Amino acid sequence: MAVMKTTRDVKGVGLSIPRPDGPEKVTGRVQYVADLQPRGLLHAKLLRSPHAHARIVRIDTSRAKALPGVRAVLTAADIPQLKKKAPTRAHAVLAIDRVVFVGQPVAAVAADELAIAEEALDLITVEYQVLPASVDPLKSMQPGAPSVADAGTEADTSEALAHSAVALKNEATGPAKAVNIAQQSRVHRGDAAKGFAESDLVLEKTYRVPMVHQGYLEAHAVLAEWDRNGLLTLWASTQGSFNTRSEVADVLGLEENQIRVIPMECGGGFGGKIRALCEPITAELSRVTKRPVRYVMTRREELEAGMPAPQVIIRLKTGVKRDGALVALDAETVIESGAFSGAVLAVSAVFLGSMYKWPAFDIRGFEVLTHKPSVAAYRAPVAPQTIFAIESHMEQIARTLGLDPVEFRRRHLIQEGDPMVNGQPWQSNGGKQVLERVAQHPFWTERAAWARSGNRDGRGRRGTGLAVGGWLGGLQPTGATVRLNPDGSLSVLTGQVDIAGTNIALAQIAASAYGVDIDKVRITTGDTDVAPVTGLSAGSKTIYTVGVAVMEAAKDARKQTLEIAAKELEASFHDLDIEDGKVVVRGVPDRSTTLASIGKKGNLYMSKIEPVLGVSHPAFSQQAPGFAAQLARIEVDADTGELTLHGFVVVQDVGCAINPLGVEGQMQGGAVQSLGMALTEALTFDDVGRLTNPSLLDYRKLTAADLPNIETIIVEVPSPSGPFGARGVGEPPIIPAPAAIANAIQDATGVRLTELPLTPERIALAIAALPAAAGPA
Amino acid sequence: MAKQILRCTVNDEDVEVLVPPYQTLLDALREELGLTGPKEGCGTGDCGACSVHVDGKLVASCLMLALQARGRTVKTIEGLAKDDVLHPLQEAFVRLGVPQCGFCIPGVLMAAAALLADNPRPTESEIRYGIAGNLCRCTGYTKMLDAITEAAGTVAGGT
Repeated sequence: MAVMKTTRDVKGVGLSIPRPDGPEKVTGRVQYVADLQPRGLLHAKLLRSPHAHARIVRIDTSRAKALPGVRAVLTAADIPQLKKKAPTRAHAVLAIDRVVFVGQPVAAVAADELAIAEEALDLITVEYQVLPASVDPLKSMQPGAPSVADAGTEADTSEALAHSAVALKNEATGPAKAVNIAQQSRVHRGDAAKGFAESDLVLEKTYRVPMVHQGYLEAHAVLAEWDRNGLLTLWASTQGSFNTRSEVADVLGLEENQIRVIPMECGGGFGGKIRALCEPITAELSRVTKRPVRYVMTRREELEAGMPAPQVIIRLKTGVKRDGALVALDAETVIESGAFSGAVLAVSAVFLGSMYKWPAFDIRGFEVLTHKPSVAAYRAPVAPQTIFAIESHMEQIARTLGLDPVEFRRRHLIQEGDPMVNGQPWQSNGGKQVLERVAQHPFWTERAAWARSGNRDGRGRRGTGLAVGGWLGGLQPTGATVRLNPDGSLSVLTGQVDIAGTNIALAQIAASAYGVDIDKVRITTGDTDVAPVTGLSAGSKTIYTVGVAVMEAAKDARKQTLEIAAKELEASFHDLDIEDGKVVVRGVPDRSTTLASIGKKGNLYMSKIEPVLGVSHPAFSQQAPGFAAQLARIEVDADTGELTLHGFVVVQDVGCAINPLGVEGQMQGGAVQSLGMALTEALTFDDVGRLTNPSLLDYRKLTAADLPNIETIIVEVPSPSGPFGARGVGEPPIIPAPAAIANAIQDATGVRLTELPLTPERIALAIAALPAAAGPA
Repeated sequence: MAKQILRCTVNDEDVEVLVPPYQTLLDALREELGLTGPKEGCGTGDCGACSVHVDGKLVASCLMLALQARGRTVKTIEGLAKDDVLHPLQEAFVRLGVPQCGFCIPGVLMAAAALLADNPRPTESEIRYGIAGNLCRCTGYTKMLDAITEAAGTVAGGT
């Protein structure tokens, strides 16, 4: 659709307006799940497996049940709906017969106090027969590895559909009889083998990115209560209340209209709070105790048994001509999904082969199960890991051939219409624009001077690196209503969970599309009983899809308003406009009626005027890719490997910045998550599958003291379908930093690191291993 | 274990409450006194979401037993605004669009308030280290730095 034109300037789209719930957030008044304390509240705890793989021989809960204050103790035997071949993590409410990762819930307790529930866990005895575990994905995908899933369990592809809307055909190329390969894919075009034979430079490297945690500060939490009519209410910390409702209904065998999900303030999700996790067991504890039950995961439980991002291992081989012409690409991606399937295999293949125009490619992908916590989405799932590989590779090719890294990328970067690896054409995007813009930044143009300025004490090596990356943009059907109130104000209703400040942007869209100032618009996130069906807050699609619903509903409400006014003013609909809270006839200054009077007539006893109710529930198919380029200025201590970030720049195409304040916040926050993945973060496991860093002291996230200010540069290449040309904003900024930092390290020191995180230890060891002559001048 | 009486001052009011001897100050504030502004992000003192002031000093309330606050003065995020007038830090956080998910914000504000009380005109580096005990996953800290810098100007300028 065309970009909507408003007839006069209203305070709406394009302005940096602080979110209206800001005062509630800074005074501690907003309510998260753990802040709820209804009468009769019980507290839940889960007994979790200490073993990565074991058979459950016997569970004795009798002593726990006898503890005063304990109201329920459940094991899988108490929940007949549970299936042995759990298709998803949510279905594996409590372990049946076998545990498949450390931290898997085995029994559940509800008690009057949290301390009693904790004590009860100690009184449950479980006899395990420990079995060999598969903890290394490369070994786990070989024949003969200990099996993770029960035979016949189906792979779960819903996550991929929710996030990327990119389908690939399954094609088996992995080892035959490999029990732990859950999904395989292959895409190929042309003759890659012939291409390598004709190439002047063939480069092959293996890139590794470990499991990382989304790191939301509010752990998973839920409060469940059944009423006497058999209706279940869940107060949830979720990225999508309708999705939570569907999953809980499926797992527990309930009708969806038996469940009401009330989304509370969500203390961060980043993909980790899409799928149900602790909701089904908490609902069961409430059902058997007939009391409200609250479950809040501890940080240790989050790190050990949350749903982190997968480990990704990419073997990448490229062939190019001496002049930099691309010839062939061959890649094998292993995505380690932990104990349950659900990785987004297609995204990795698309970004490996589709960012640049490779004439021939062959890309195989494997989703491999291991005895570790199963994974979920993490902001642009698998894209930062994949872009780390391809953008590290492109940089090395350019350096080896003596080509300018930006010009080399610009020459081969895709544009609208170029085919992706799956044959679908790239939609309009700002990839080239962000690359060209970042290359104008002084950090880039003055990189030689920066490099020369280092090394004064013989240790400080200075460098600059950049990378570009993109996200295809998510889609999901959604809905919104816009009502005109009797005082002339607007009420917007969606079911969209507002985590980052999307509601103010949606309200701005309504204001501009209807024709009133933002202070006349109030937006509400309804629960699943009252809101129109609304999709996930995920995949960079809230503004892109719900924004369209709100825009169309506001335009619908505007049309209804003008039709009512046209009759009253005896004027043509087409001559009317909305100005300053009034419907006016253009060119006839004294003929007008107020929005308030139209709103009032829609709510008067015996009135014949219909109440204004704008409705839209779109489902559209055009994606809007969002690209970001990131630029790092760093210094590396050549002795210790310590890396100091002196500056970091995010350039991003957002289509149209509906609320620049919120857009900048997304760009800065995404960049720092990306930098965390680059520099410090990794879930590390021992050889029997136990997490060795289960605290925020040891799982190191970046703090304010580790960082410079993040500079943001907004680029606007309008999307054809988004509201006012907007594109998704959340995902792109988490993608390029690992490659940008690795490229900067090579610039500074001459070493090329291929495994994240880029720790001082790895950097120092790599520098020490350089042949003396090969070090930087 | 038998509960014991905790008498202390919380947000300028004298309180008297029965708490179990093993209860943390954070849990007593949240569960017994209904002050749910301080958050539990980790329970091990690593994230700063539970930050409060005890006798004017910044404390991770998840690491302090409630009974250790006997006779002392506790301030939580609920006590930072005076009579519904936002503290300059809170005002700057709202105006500059700092909060996203908001979970870390009460702790960050208490850390920043403690910093400015000690050091009304901190340098950028002093602000960065002043809130280095507070993890935030949404903002990347840049807007926080801007807001604290602005508020520091306001606070210092006003005195």
